[in-house]
Amino acid sequence: MGIPAERIDRLQDLAREATAEGDIDRAREYVRLARRIGERHRISLQRRFRRFSCDDCDAYLRPGATARVRLRSGHVAIRCLACGATARYPYEG
Amino acid sequence: MALTPETLTRHELNGLRVAVADAPNPDLVGVAGRVVGETMRTLRVAAGGDSASGDGPDASETESRVKQVPKRDSTFEFELPSKGDAPECTDEAADAAKASGTASKRRSETAGRFEAGQSGRCQGVAYVTVDGARLLSRPALRTEKTGDSLWR
Repeated sequence: MGIPAERIDRLQDLAREATAEGDIDRAREYVRLARRIGERHRISLQRRFRRFSCDDCDAYLRPGATARVRLRSGHVAIRCLACGATARYPYEG
Repeated sequence: MALTPETLTRHELNGLRVAVADAPNPDLVGVAGRVVGETMRTLRVAAGGDSASGDGPDASETESRVKQVPKRDSTFEFELPSKGDAPECTDEAADAAKASGTASKRRSETAGRFEAGQSGRCQGVAYVTVDGARLLSRPALRTEKTGDSLWR
């Protein structure tokens, strides 16, 4: 794992921690930085990171705190409680 | 490429414990805490608080708790959690600092800013002194200067 991937990893932990402490804006900064690093180094974020950060407002999503996760028919709906955006991820079966 | 004294200047600084060993502004010398933010020319240091202490959203920046320290002309002492269980203190000046022309000093010369009273401060922890000028870069671009980037 190179330095960029490691930085992204670290930033994910930091974003999660900051959200747990209620500091959503600081977590946003971490998410943005992680995305920017990935962009510059042509690394995609891990799926877990992609799915648990808000595409619209960059908040880190913790189910129960800043996100609501619901199973709908054919997809998972994750709603960001900070901005209200919903992301839907299909599943099989 | 783990976080080592050599890679520190290209690695993530957020979340690391840091002490300001030298700064043009005398009020900032001795500020110690976790790095909570980085901009092109400054570091934000949550002074006095541990990682556990939660504070309000970005309002805390304006409070005295989070200090914004300019990188230029400052010297920082980073505390690296080291994986090796070397019993004694490692005490290295960041290797990369040579390249900047301003040599970074070893800790003994700069008189450490971490309180000596902390128990077990030598356990599994390495202290790295870095000239702030080495860190002058946008946070996301700091990694790219040499090495592992897929570009070039």
